[in-house]
Amino acid sequence: MNKKASDKRKFCGNCTSHNAYNYPDQVFCTRRFLKNKNPIVQTLSCCDEYYPSAQECNCITDATDKRK
Amino acid sequence: MQRKEILREPVKHVKINGTLTVDQLIKQFKNSGSFEAGRLATACDIYERMLRDQKCTVFLGLAGAVVPAGMRTLIADMIRENLIDVVVTTGANMVHDTVEALGGHHYKGHWNVDDHLLYRNHTYRIYDVFVPEEDFIRLDMKLVEMYDEIAAEYGGKSLSSRDFAWEVGRRLTDSNSILRAAYEAKAPIFIPAVRDSEFGYIYYLHASRKRFKDTLVVDAFKDVPEIISVCRKSSRNGMIIIGGGVPRNTIQSAALATKSGIDYAVVITMDRPETGGLSGSTLEETVSWGKLKGQAHKTMVIGEAMMVFPIMVASVIERLGEGFKRTPRLKNGMFKSGGSK
Repeated sequence: MNKKASDKRKFCGNCTSHNAYNYPDQVFCTRRFLKNKNPIVQTLSCCDEYYPSAQECNCITDATDKRK
Repeated sequence: MQRKEILREPVKHVKINGTLTVDQLIKQFKNSGSFEAGRLATACDIYERMLRDQKCTVFLGLAGAVVPAGMRTLIADMIRENLIDVVVTTGANMVHDTVEALGGHHYKGHWNVDDHLLYRNHTYRIYDVFVPEEDFIRLDMKLVEMYDEIAAEYGGKSLSSRDFAWEVGRRLTDSNSILRAAYEAKAPIFIPAVRDSEFGYIYYLHASRKRFKDTLVVDAFKDVPEIISVCRKSSRNGMIIIGGGVPRNTIQSAALATKSGIDYAVVITMDRPETGGLSGSTLEETVSWGKLKGQAHKTMVIGEAMMVFPIMVASVIERLGEGFKRTPRLKNGMFKSGGSK
């Protein structure tokens, strides 16, 4: 993992299990969906099963900007 | 053949004299008889014949992204007005129909864009049409619920792709939906490559949550006797093909299996014949297989279906007039319900 990726803060919105849902505030979590849990989570939250997404998207930037 | 027979009919030049209706313009195309304008005019004549032939079952084959591009309501209306009897389609077109039925949208975009920018914004591109990812996610969530329900109702019995389309259509309420229109009109929709679409990948979500027990079972082979029975009960078969691919082959093969052959054919495609692939293959090639009758009324329009197909339909509806009513060819729907339960 390069330095930039390792320094990146962990959020649902940059985890590999996320898809857009209520952009940019909420994302859909496939991992939770497969476990029959509510799959809709906050973009800027996180859990222990975080795994970094292979490609970056704008979820975190846009969710952070909206929160400001 | 003598020379005077070869040079029988001169080209009449297109004349736009004031306001023209769609069919008046098509008649001008027929007068010129040339290139794709001439073929489009022939396609209109053939489709009109199909509809006026009281013993012809009309099949529509759909491949290519015509539903995301805006042809959804037209096809739903045609099903309701009995201008089509049977639809054979890619899974993707019905997935996009369901996306809109569940409140999602397709957006006007552009083909020349930064696709990595779209990726970063969770936006998918279909040439110059954009689809937001969340509309697919809402589709996934709803379809998993539907799959759970259908699986429980069928109790392990398999569905044909026609049963599957019927069950999804039954659960939709949007009157502009193709699946809903077909359910209401009892018109069969076959999706022979249903697995090769979001419908297939949603199965994985549905099955994973159920640990692969008591899941929905769709049996592609079950379609075969069903579509053959449609051809067998039909005195004459007509097909309108948008694109080609699996839907075109499914219709043609059913006509071959019953040894009835196809009597009327319109193919709208931009594919070429040189690869040997079906979508670009000429209708003469289809004759060689016995799928299309040698004396069939047939034409292939080389053009983009989003332009060609609505013009053809508008022209023919104009010719038929407001009083024209066509009875469904499949009596009482032939398949009254999902059928396999």
